[in-house]
Amino acid sequence: MTSRPASPYERLAVVLSDEFNDREVGFTGLLTGSAAALFGTAIPLVAMQLAKLRHAPRLTILLAGCYHNPDFRELDCLPDSEHSAQLRDLPCEAQMLGYPGPWALKRGDVSFGFSSGVQVDQAGNLNSVCIGPHDRPMVRLVGPILQPEHMSMFGREFIMMPSHEPRNIVGQVDFISGVGYPGGLEGRRGLGLRRGGPELIVTPKCIFEFDKVLGHARVRSIHPNVTASELRAATGFDLGDLSKVPATRDPDDVELQLIRQVIDPRGILLPH
Amino acid sequence: MNARSSKVVSLCEAASTIKDGCRLTLGGFAVYQKPMALVRELARQARKDLVIVGAAHSFDVDMLCAAGCLKRIETSYVGLERFGLARNFRRLAEKGGIEIVDYPELISLDRFRADQEGLEFWPVEGLGGNDVIRFNAEIKEITCPVSGRLLHAVPAAKPDVVVIHAIAADEEGNVVIPARRLFPQSADITFSRACDHVIVTAEKIVPRSFIKRHARLVEIPSYRVNAVVEVPFGSHPTPTLGRYIADDQHMAEYVEASGAEVRFTRYLERYVHSPQTHFDYLDLLGSRRLTSLQDLDSLQ
Repeated sequence: MTSRPASPYERLAVVLSDEFNDREVGFTGLLTGSAAALFGTAIPLVAMQLAKLRHAPRLTILLAGCYHNPDFRELDCLPDSEHSAQLRDLPCEAQMLGYPGPWALKRGDVSFGFSSGVQVDQAGNLNSVCIGPHDRPMVRLVGPILQPEHMSMFGREFIMMPSHEPRNIVGQVDFISGVGYPGGLEGRRGLGLRRGGPELIVTPKCIFEFDKVLGHARVRSIHPNVTASELRAATGFDLGDLSKVPATRDPDDVELQLIRQVIDPRGILLPH
Repeated sequence: MNARSSKVVSLCEAASTIKDGCRLTLGGFAVYQKPMALVRELARQARKDLVIVGAAHSFDVDMLCAAGCLKRIETSYVGLERFGLARNFRRLAEKGGIEIVDYPELISLDRFRADQEGLEFWPVEGLGGNDVIRFNAEIKEITCPVSGRLLHAVPAAKPDVVVIHAIAADEEGNVVIPARRLFPQSADITFSRACDHVIVTAEKIVPRSFIKRHARLVEIPSYRVNAVVEVPFGSHPTPTLGRYIADDQHMAEYVEASGAEVRFTRYLERYVHSPQTHFDYLDLLGSRRLTSLQDLDSLQ
């Protein structure tokens, strides 16, 4: 079978799926808007399903943080409402009916999560509150929502950025609503943060990992068809030497087949 | 039933007990089950300087921003989920016209747990380094007396009034929350236990016999409730779980209008100031629209 080449979204789902371990609990919010929903919700869901099929059968998926291991075959479209009748009626293994609920967040029940913001910076700090001064912002955004909890109480965080431009990937965020590694892991400990923090930043152009001692993001891989100079031009901080950075890996045929025929045969999660 | 034990009042009477400048909690969560009929009544009565203290907000806060009712808001989110940013709120914030105190989502609910426990604060971990504490002098750094760990004391919510919208209550204020509930309905229970002035708007006022058949679902007993208002479609355009779904068409009309101040003034005139009563508002929407929103839920 010669398959069509991997789409950019399939590539990201496959790369992410390598990051999850058996018996972990993965939390994805429900983002809306086409690019945000793809990066924040659909790619993580496909990645977790793929991990379950391949190497992590007992991974628990929390859709919108509430719906445990939902049956995606029953979906007619990607859900866009967190607490609606549609999700109430979607078959799953457990629902979160209130807070405190089934997971003990502050004890560390959630192994990893996915979040997004308008800005992320070199230290991995995330912002969804405002651009400009807090008391007189140029742009007021929605607020911190669950970002503070994602970045301090979950085991690790995958930051999903639907746009990679100098205004999104910045030297320093305007408001820290999710704490990265100011001063590295040592810095986090000094702030009373005992666990968690960003693991990767996933963008349409590259994947960042962290030097957690220095507390700096560094490019782990560059997606095919993106040049090093394009990446530098699109990023608001210095990327250092990119000459030894590999290309983001291609999915293999088995992975593509699982995504296209088992996980998302109707193309509800990822556009073909 | 003894008429004197009835707590049933009109929407107008209920809203008039919410005074200018008070700390008000509006139930529901984000775009779900918001007490919108009461919100429209507050706008109609031109309430001033309210301080909204809550967990996640949307059309409720956005409308009150446009109507000039708010001074300050303490919450984790003001947005319209799949309809994007809350545009009236955004405009007011960018003019410096409202004081915004940002709280993390679950910690915003911990504040109500503190009220419920009769405490002045709730201790939390994980706020170090977050700008949420840089802009909020009311959150204090503390040391855990047992472990010595760095924690933060988050102030109790201390609402003066809590308003929630429920599917059913009796005249005395016994409130039924369905078994097939989700996060927003549970948040309402938490809010209702955090305050001594609780107003319940209900889809239907039910007889005592109905309450007795559903005693296990009466999460809010009558002695916690001060006033009950019968308001069918009282959360419109947001949904009431088990009764009706979101009115996407109306939300789109709202969002379109909220794109510019002058357009939203016309929206307020048409849907808030012109209708004399909540039923006039429902008539404006029409039976075809309202009946199309039914949520059949499970039949077993």
